[in-house]
Amino acid sequence: MHNNDHGAVGAGWAELIGAVAKSADRVAFARLFQHFAPRVKAFMKRSGMSDSVAEELAQETLLMVWRKAALFDPTSAAPSGWIFTIARNLRIDALRRERRSASTEAQDIEDEFLWDAGPSAENAAATNQAHARISAAVATLPEDQLRVIELSFHQDKAHAEIAEALQIPLGTVKSRLRLAMNKLRILLDDLQ
Amino acid sequence: MTPSSHPPDVLLTASAAGTLDLGWHIAVATHVHGCAQCRAWIRMTESVGGALLENSPPAVMSREALRMVEARFGEAVAAPYACERPGPQTGLLADIPGLPGFVRSYPAGPWRWVAPGIHLLPIYPSAAEEARVFLLKARAGLKLLPHTHTGTEMTCVLTGSFSHDGGQFSPADFDLGDASVDHTISIDGTTDCVCLVAMSGKLRLKGFIGRLMQNFVSI
Repeated sequence: MHNNDHGAVGAGWAELIGAVAKSADRVAFARLFQHFAPRVKAFMKRSGMSDSVAEELAQETLLMVWRKAALFDPTSAAPSGWIFTIARNLRIDALRRERRSASTEAQDIEDEFLWDAGPSAENAAATNQAHARISAAVATLPEDQLRVIELSFHQDKAHAEIAEALQIPLGTVKSRLRLAMNKLRILLDDLQ
Repeated sequence: MTPSSHPPDVLLTASAAGTLDLGWHIAVATHVHGCAQCRAWIRMTESVGGALLENSPPAVMSREALRMVEARFGEAVAAPYACERPGPQTGLLADIPGLPGFVRSYPAGPWRWVAPGIHLLPIYPSAAEEARVFLLKARAGLKLLPHTHTGTEMTCVLTGSFSHDGGQFSPADFDLGDASVDHTISIDGTTDCVCLVAMSGKLRLKGFIGRLMQNFVSI
């Protein structure tokens, strides 16, 4: 489930995004694409999207990476976290379109995650080093805690449904989630 | 001022993960708007999402995927905010403190009388399905009789404050209620209390107002 063969933090994603922003560097983009597009597609599929919809959204996500590269601020977000938010917003948009004929603008969804204080104002502590620690902490979560966290990223599931999906007792879901959350909460307190 | 009551971690996480219905997200986001601590939590959760994404097993992309994306590099893109957006500062929500910008852009209103001392302003978000969203304004000094919730109710204080047996709730404080909660609420102080509320059961508007009228009796 959780492989580190790409050396999560050291892969230089920020530099590649910077090269796309500065000089429309297609080689840099191709490297970003090769790593993230298949993983965004997998992320969409785990959210219940069909293969073709997941493919389309993965392509769209990476197209956004190309277009918005200049907006990426490495001091306020990790490259993978930034790409995650793009994928998340496209997933929200796709699910809304699926449920309703009316659609919202992608920009509206971005606004739903913007606060007047701005994403970076209070986030100065979240430097690359902090993100490295978050990645490391996630990598050290035990498999069982990781799975309940991952599920919470993919569907708004009541704990009872997560229990059913993982075929474990409800009390276990709650205690695993609490353990994982506590770990992250302690980490966050350290960063502040 | 740092709020003293926050959404539970699982709600903040679901909000950052983008899995919450828009109505619930609006209630959480209104709190987050006024809470630096929870903004940090949201940003951290996004980093966690990135770490999970970065290290997850890949799916197989179609052979032509990269070429197809490159072919779209030249497409004209509508500039953000190029289109006319609803005037966020001119509506009924403009004068209400404590709302995030995106909430102000929604159609809303008008204020409706619900019960003596209580008014309600419906908000119409673009895509809320499970929860309906509204502002509730209660007169200072009002006491509400005990009531329970049939669904889930998320409340974020915008102005004034109220108290129940769970504590006192001031601006940006977040209160989560469900069917297990049985509260006697009183509006504190001398200012009216305005809250943003997200509540499940949007199809039972009449029932909701009916319950308010039956159960919430003003002084």
